[in-house]
Amino acid sequence: MIAVDILSDGFFAAIAAMGFGSISDPPLRAFPYIALLAAIGHATRYCLMNFLGVDIATASLVAAFIIGTGSVWCGKKVFCPMTVLYIPALLPMIPGTYAYKTVFSLIMFLQNISSPTQGSEYLQAMIFNGAVSFSVIFMLAVGATFPVFLLRERANSMTRGSRFI
Amino acid sequence: MGQERIGDIADFISRYLSYMLGAGVHTSRVVRNSKRIGEALGVDVCVHTSQKTAMLTVRDSSGTIDTRVVDIPAFPISFEWNADLSALSWAAYDRKMSLEEIRSRFDSMVSKPKINPFFVLFMVSLANASFCRLFGGGLWAMMIVFTSTMVGFYTRQHLTKCKVNHYIVFIVSAFVASLCASSALSLGIDSAEIVLATSVLYLVPGVPLINGVIDITDGHIQIGISRLVNAFLLIVCIAIGLSATLIMVKNSLL
Repeated sequence: MIAVDILSDGFFAAIAAMGFGSISDPPLRAFPYIALLAAIGHATRYCLMNFLGVDIATASLVAAFIIGTGSVWCGKKVFCPMTVLYIPALLPMIPGTYAYKTVFSLIMFLQNISSPTQGSEYLQAMIFNGAVSFSVIFMLAVGATFPVFLLRERANSMTRGSRFI
Repeated sequence: MGQERIGDIADFISRYLSYMLGAGVHTSRVVRNSKRIGEALGVDVCVHTSQKTAMLTVRDSSGTIDTRVVDIPAFPISFEWNADLSALSWAAYDRKMSLEEIRSRFDSMVSKPKINPFFVLFMVSLANASFCRLFGGGLWAMMIVFTSTMVGFYTRQHLTKCKVNHYIVFIVSAFVASLCASSALSLGIDSAEIVLATSVLYLVPGVPLINGVIDITDGHIQIGISRLVNAFLLIVCIAIGLSATLIMVKNSLL
């Protein structure tokens, strides 16, 4: 049952990444690798959070690092720069519910501004959710960019010798 | 190398880098690729970039110099251009291609057809529905998110085609998608909150956000901050569109 959960998490993350990626017009040859990276990354975060009790920001950092490192390997196979593969693969990890709750709490805070107790509760919820959303997005960007510093030579010559031009 | 030849090279490289920056490629890659093409053609290239314009100076070994300042056109983001134009710079460098050959390859690359917009519409809707599933939404929630995204993304495509200001496009698309998603409340679906939260996520400006961070860490701090501010404004627009719906339906959500 646990295996099914992990696989279904990876499967839906792969579809989400391919769909969101298609907005940015990637080359068709990149789609399988975008899906693979997204599935591995999201499933890793799922496992870290659900089985090891890691918090969402740290789990996102680890998953983004795996996606970033994987994109160095995959990019060379399809002659695509790392960003072409890892940006779509990171998108399914955007903390949507936290971002939504930040906006919702802000609205409710403004609506309850005259009631000190309710108002401060919503303000607290807004800061809580906003801090989580910001940290996760920041960690995703940093985690995926970090492998570029470690593997700079390889990362800068991914499209060399491309047979697709 | 004569002045005219240097001028030709400067014209081409300025066009090349403006297309790359316009299509959402991060700055250090654009600078690196432009310098590489310059090296292939036997000239030294120096580039200065900002959010809206770029400036480059081309110089050969005899000291002949030419400078260009170009506007960066607002193209839709294209990873295909990113990959192909980067590959072109390596091909020019490795195969010692002539300027005319590089230019004709460049022209054929940028005139390639884009992915069919209806296919993108379907894929984005499917993606957002899957996203809803990742957040714990059920089958009905996924179907509502699929439909709302389709309506919202079609609105975005249509308004962009009509050349409406992109902030307005984001506000209206977020409002339309979340309003459609709010039908989950009247249909009595348990995970209505998840449906509402997911319905606008197809708008998240992932590319400028990550490019901003890459630019800053690469030392192109000014353009990195510009990109992040740009992304932040788009996120605010999504929040405004979503807020309009939330104000209308907030009582059913409490």
